[in-house]
Amino acid sequence: MDKVLLHVEGITVHYGRLAAVRDVSITVNEGEIVCVVGPNGAGKSTTLLSISGVLNPSSGNIVFSGEKINGIRPEIVARKGISQVPEGRHVFTTLSVEENLRIGAQIRKDRAEIEKDIKRVQELFPILGERRRQSAGKLSGGEQQMLVIGRALLTKPKIMTIDEPSLGLAPNIVDRVYEVLTTLREERGMTLLIVEQSSERALKAADRLYVIRNGEIQIEGKASELQDGEKIRQAYFGFNDEKNTVAEASS
Amino acid sequence: MQDIVKNFNYKKILSDKRALVILGIVISIIGIIVAVTDPVRFQILITSVSEGSFYALAALGIGLLFGVLRLINFAYGDWVMLAGYALILPSTAVTSTLIIGSFHPVLIVLIIIGFTVLLSVLSESTVFRPMRNTNPAIMMIASFALGYVLQNLTIMIYGGRPKSAGIFEELTQTVDLAEGVSVPLLKIITIGVTAVLLILLTLFLHRTRIGIQMRAAAEDFRMARMLGVRANFVIAMAFVISGFLASFVSLMYVTQIGILTFRMGTPIIVFAFIATVIGGMGSLVGSVVGGMVVGVSSVVLKNILPGSIRGFSDAFVFGIVIAILLARPQGLVPAKSARERV
Repeated sequence: MDKVLLHVEGITVHYGRLAAVRDVSITVNEGEIVCVVGPNGAGKSTTLLSISGVLNPSSGNIVFSGEKINGIRPEIVARKGISQVPEGRHVFTTLSVEENLRIGAQIRKDRAEIEKDIKRVQELFPILGERRRQSAGKLSGGEQQMLVIGRALLTKPKIMTIDEPSLGLAPNIVDRVYEVLTTLREERGMTLLIVEQSSERALKAADRLYVIRNGEIQIEGKASELQDGEKIRQAYFGFNDEKNTVAEASS
Repeated sequence: MQDIVKNFNYKKILSDKRALVILGIVISIIGIIVAVTDPVRFQILITSVSEGSFYALAALGIGLLFGVLRLINFAYGDWVMLAGYALILPSTAVTSTLIIGSFHPVLIVLIIIGFTVLLSVLSESTVFRPMRNTNPAIMMIASFALGYVLQNLTIMIYGGRPKSAGIFEELTQTVDLAEGVSVPLLKIITIGVTAVLLILLTLFLHRTRIGIQMRAAAEDFRMARMLGVRANFVIAMAFVISGFLASFVSLMYVTQIGILTFRMGTPIIVFAFIATVIGGMGSLVGSVVGGMVVGVSSVVLKNILPGSIRGFSDAFVFGIVIAILLARPQGLVPAKSARERV
């Protein structure tokens, strides 16, 4: 039986009076790549931000390695081993590339290991080594995506959550990003929870996936069982479902 | 030629970063050339750069907190004021008695630094920490409230009358720099101390782990926290540094003026705040540049305006400020986070 690493148990998150996600449950096992797919505004980012402790669910629980973590401050969540690469990358543009990486490592005490890990990240993404003294704002979008993945890795996380790694990037660069993510799992057994708009990308990369729309999980399943795509399309767009079609048309 | 005149657009120059830097260098060089040819002008140069340094330090104390916390701290001037009052015996008597102010100079500086840092950290933990998640306008109003409380506490303890506090009086004596150029030693020390503090602050922000965390937090606080940067610690450090800078502002000001009043912080905070705004809110380089612009233009105008309107020189300073803001509403050296926040 797989070992559960992260368990989101029926969380509901409100922005003011508006519920952005309702009763969402997600399970991520150790060493798995899980994708959460859904259209804009479905509640994907809200879910990830709740896991990271930035948002506080009004009900439900988030359990990480058997410990309840909802309501804990984001810096503590990061120290427990959940590292998020948020939507829009968020490099520190005024810091140099290397300073960005070192910020990732600052929660660790194992100095010798940190230097080795920085070297390793620079081997994984050579551009980060070449440009380590440049300010991170000067990197291209793809390079910035590499930088934030490298930075998240340096926190030595047990799980990485990644919000739309393909946002605003050219398709060949997105390929490269996903290549790196799968390598991370293959070579280091990294557990990944990826949020993605493109269900094709998700189907290729993930072991299992969840489709979320209007703040609710529509379907979930193994990627191998959802390959034909028809089920996903239905869940994603809400077609062939009279009630939702009407709701969609009126909105 | 006519085309050049027609296409000349001062807003365009001011909106281009490189043109702005060149413009700044050109103005500085012209200023220095004009100054070295004449002893009186040279004196004005030293005095104005010293005034600029003073406001640069004060503006940094405000800019730093704004960068990390989005707090516009109007109580900063009252920290400066209280640091001055800390020199004398707490009593409402008409004549004041120096207590800490009569110690050895090194001891005075150390105690005042400690006092102001403590005041700053206490302000954070009692007033600003509970309000951290409200919006910046509410925090700003809270800083006004804190300022009033501090002023009224001062009146309660020391009385409302101005009090004398002469410290480092030997520094107000003038020294001859060259033939016909004599300036108070304090002016030169102000420039020197500011230069040293700026270098220390730069080293701290770029070479230490905490410094790098502070810069990261100033740019994108949420992301920094998601990487494990402790919000409470970074904010407390920002208050420590802000209080540290306030202690030097206070020591310089009290040495210069020699008199304490419970309202003495107000003009300092007004000019320092204006300096941070024209420099670019939240940008530390901007705070220094803004402080220099305000200080230098204030002294220069006081000296070159014709006697009949010299009394209104502040109005001309504010005129320059308005002109800068019309052309560059984001400030001369805008902070990254102010531009990119989504």
